[in-house]
Amino acid sequence: MIGTQGASRTRPVSGRGWKAVLNAGLGNTRTRILGVFLILIAVLGTVVLRQYANIETVFVACLLAGSLLSRWWTVLVPLSALLILQPLEWDANRGYAVEAMAGISFFVVTGFLFVALIGSRLRPKVLFRVKSVALLTTISVPLTVAYDVWTAFGEWYFLMRPFGVSLLTVMQGQFLFTLYHLLSSLIFVPLFGTTFLFLQAYGWPATQQEPSPAEPYDRP
Amino acid sequence: MRPRLSERAQAAILVGVLVTAIAALYGATQILQPSAVSRFVVHGVRIEVNSSSWTIEYQSLVTTNNTAFRLLEEAAAHLGFTVGYEVYQIPEGVLVTSINGTTNGQGGRYWQYWVNGVFGDVAADKKALADDDIVLWRFDRSYAGVSVG
Repeated sequence: MIGTQGASRTRPVSGRGWKAVLNAGLGNTRTRILGVFLILIAVLGTVVLRQYANIETVFVACLLAGSLLSRWWTVLVPLSALLILQPLEWDANRGYAVEAMAGISFFVVTGFLFVALIGSRLRPKVLFRVKSVALLTTISVPLTVAYDVWTAFGEWYFLMRPFGVSLLTVMQGQFLFTLYHLLSSLIFVPLFGTTFLFLQAYGWPATQQEPSPAEPYDRP
Repeated sequence: MRPRLSERAQAAILVGVLVTAIAALYGATQILQPSAVSRFVVHGVRIEVNSSSWTIEYQSLVTTNNTAFRLLEEAAAHLGFTVGYEVYQIPEGVLVTSINGTTNGQGGRYWQYWVNGVFGDVAADKKALADDDIVLWRFDRSYAGVSVG
């Protein structure tokens, strides 16, 4: 009996086919537009601000992808943005050993995925309200520090350790960069957070019958 | 029961907290940033620029180009070779990208500098020189943090 119940649960999904799976994964039109916007912001912002180390927009895009859009976007936004940005990074650092660059890319990608996943845990609490912007901004502070410690460890392991540089030296060198990264988060998270919460609540009409999750009082 | 703050009041508080935090963080970054080096006269400073295939040597008996970068520019102007660099805003400083046509990344090597055998721990335009200092610019693999004799 239990087996039958399980079968009846899975049948509609496979019966609806790949389009249904795609729709469930990508959400309604509004969600898709916002997802693409987040990828664009992540890429363009980081490219434009290239000369300002650690002032970047991938972090905020990942946090918002997880907390506002969720679904596949939690993974799609960080991966798509980094698929464009990492080759640029590799090009700028031509000459470094492939293993070292691949190792650092691993830490960067997993770091941003972690940010998006933590964001998705916040999703039920995120509405178009000041409290939500405050929550996102507050959570961005420890997340930024955690991301920087993680990637600094990767940099030490793949770039500095072979030359006998201690982890402590790398972490000390990281300190000023983390302050700039925190500055970036404190500016961009409230700025883009407010914008995207508004767009998600009152932006383009969703073509599919699906409530806009950011609208106040829509959710319990 | 405490009365709930209106959205507008909450927004005002949030903006106030954010502006304060951003100002404090910005202040901290400015304090921790390596400070600009003011010009003063140094005597007997030497520079050696070392690629794998060529070497340039230059000595200045008296100069106000008292940073590792300014001395490199002075040598380039006197001896007629080119120096390429990028100016970064955050953290503030100059990154030398090419010297005499040899560009960063070729063969996995980069331009790095040492002053009296100690690896440059700040941007070259922030590294002040003293009398009789020897600056070495070497095109090599990353040696961050490693001293050379």
